Amino acid sequence: MTTDKLRAILRRDLLTAVRHRSGFVMTFVGVFTELAAFYFLSRAIGPSFRPGGVEYFPFLLVGTGVFTFFVMSAQAFLSAVQEAQQTGTLEVLMTTSTEPAELVILSSISAFAGNLVNLVIYLAAGVAVFRASIHANFLSCAVVLILSLAIALALGIIAATLQVAFQKGAALLGLLSSGIWFLSGAMFPVESLPRPLELLARAVPLTYAIEGMRSALLEGRSVMAMASTFAALAGFAVVMLPLALAALSLSLRRARQNGTLSFY
Amino acid sequence: MDRVVFESVDKKFRHRPALFNWLGKERGGETIALKNVAFSVGPAEVLVLLGPNGSGKTTTLKLISTMLLPDGGSVRVGGFDTQHDAGKVRRQVGIAVAAERSFFPRLSARENLEFFAALDEVPRRERAQRINDVLRDCGLDEQADTLVMKFSSGMYQRLGIARALVKRPSVLLLDEPTRSLDAATTAHFWATIRALAARQTTILLATHNFAEAAAVGDRLLLLHRGEMLANRSLGEGESAEALRSFYFRTTGEIDERVL
Repeated sequence: MTTDKLRAILRRDLLTAVRHRSGFVMTFVGVFTELAAFYFLSRAIGPSFRPGGVEYFPFLLVGTGVFTFFVMSAQAFLSAVQEAQQTGTLEVLMTTSTEPAELVILSSISAFAGNLVNLVIYLAAGVAVFRASIHANFLSCAVVLILSLAIALALGIIAATLQVAFQKGAALLGLLSSGIWFLSGAMFPVESLPRPLELLARAVPLTYAIEGMRSALLEGRSVMAMASTFAALAGFAVVMLPLALAALSLSLRRARQNGTLSFY
Repeated sequence: MDRVVFESVDKKFRHRPALFNWLGKERGGETIALKNVAFSVGPAEVLVLLGPNGSGKTTTLKLISTMLLPDGGSVRVGGFDTQHDAGKVRRQVGIAVAAERSFFPRLSARENLEFFAALDEVPRRERAQRINDVLRDCGLDEQADTLVMKFSSGMYQRLGIARALVKRPSVLLLDEPTRSLDAATTAHFWATIRALAARQTTILLATHNFAEAAAVGDRLLLLHRGEMLANRSLGEGESAEALRSFYFRTTGEIDERVL
């Protein structure tokens, strides 16, 4: 039954995306523009700058790709919740036979699936068009991706919780994403930050996701060699997911009590 | 056994003024939406909720659907409490809300119904047939494959009713269901309501339309400022005119037609 619901949600989101033709095309134009900017930035800096022993363009490619995947997934999910509040769909969805928590998880999976496709296209274009050199260990990539997805799911659920509770999910996501962009090492290695900021960066789960994906995709490190990164990612996922779900459940109950489910 | 039971239900909405309220004049305080309301509805019964704007009709329907939770008392549907067994309640209830545009605009009518039917756990093998049936019953078969962003108000309203019917609920909640419908569609809809009641569906219908109340109702619940003023059977052949006089006599509101 759950797969049937997931199929229905994926189909809804795919049809909606495809029928927003201009948005669909602009996403792909945006991907190539961004990649071109990073390519020429890395050329301007020169080949002597090799953070972590890898060329700067592939370093940027993975860092910005994984960062964008996280932020855009949470953003897409948040937009879906906001739109549902504005049209009144959220109230109706909450009266279906599907438990609200299940509905939220399935909807966020759909949001992440769309952005996962974007990430694959982004990385593939970087390799095929801009000649980024990779030495991938696909098993390690898959493990990083699965653990990162669990964290991204929690992030999306937290954004939705804040949207339902205070109607301020977008503001918080904006604040978080600018802070995380600076701290996560998407553009430069976190080791170049002052020591206190580096320690702060080590408390950000996205830092491990980006580092993990770079190690797996650019250096071809094995699962065994990446055990500490996987442990850190798994630790974040195990703590964040149940907390996010409990917070969501509480905020939905509070909204039903106060009659604010469709407030935006 | 009664299918919907309200026991001493209270519901109020609190308004917190904005943080920088000196910039505007937002009112704080609370609105009492329902005060000590108690009633029950059985299978095959059509209960009409009448009352002026803000009397608590929509709040009553939302409490049954679990969109809202009561502050005091209890609401039970099919023996299940809406606070503690919300999932079991939702499986039994279908609601057509007054918010007409609660659909996904870039999906067709059929695609919207397929989506909601999946979430309502309508078996896959029955889904296509059920959707065809409700689209026909609601007069939308010709617009089934039109994107709903192109729909008129009346078509949205019909689609809302179709969505509520597709899960074949044992309790059907309708909030001003014919507000934007033309005369022929309204007459057809009233016949559909009576047919559903004959198949043991419990129906609660909020309306301002006395003709509608007289045409489909078995019983009448009159609400005024959150309080229940009347809960009585509708007599066989009771006219819309008789209902109208009862309404104004009981609520104490002024009927400008007789001035």
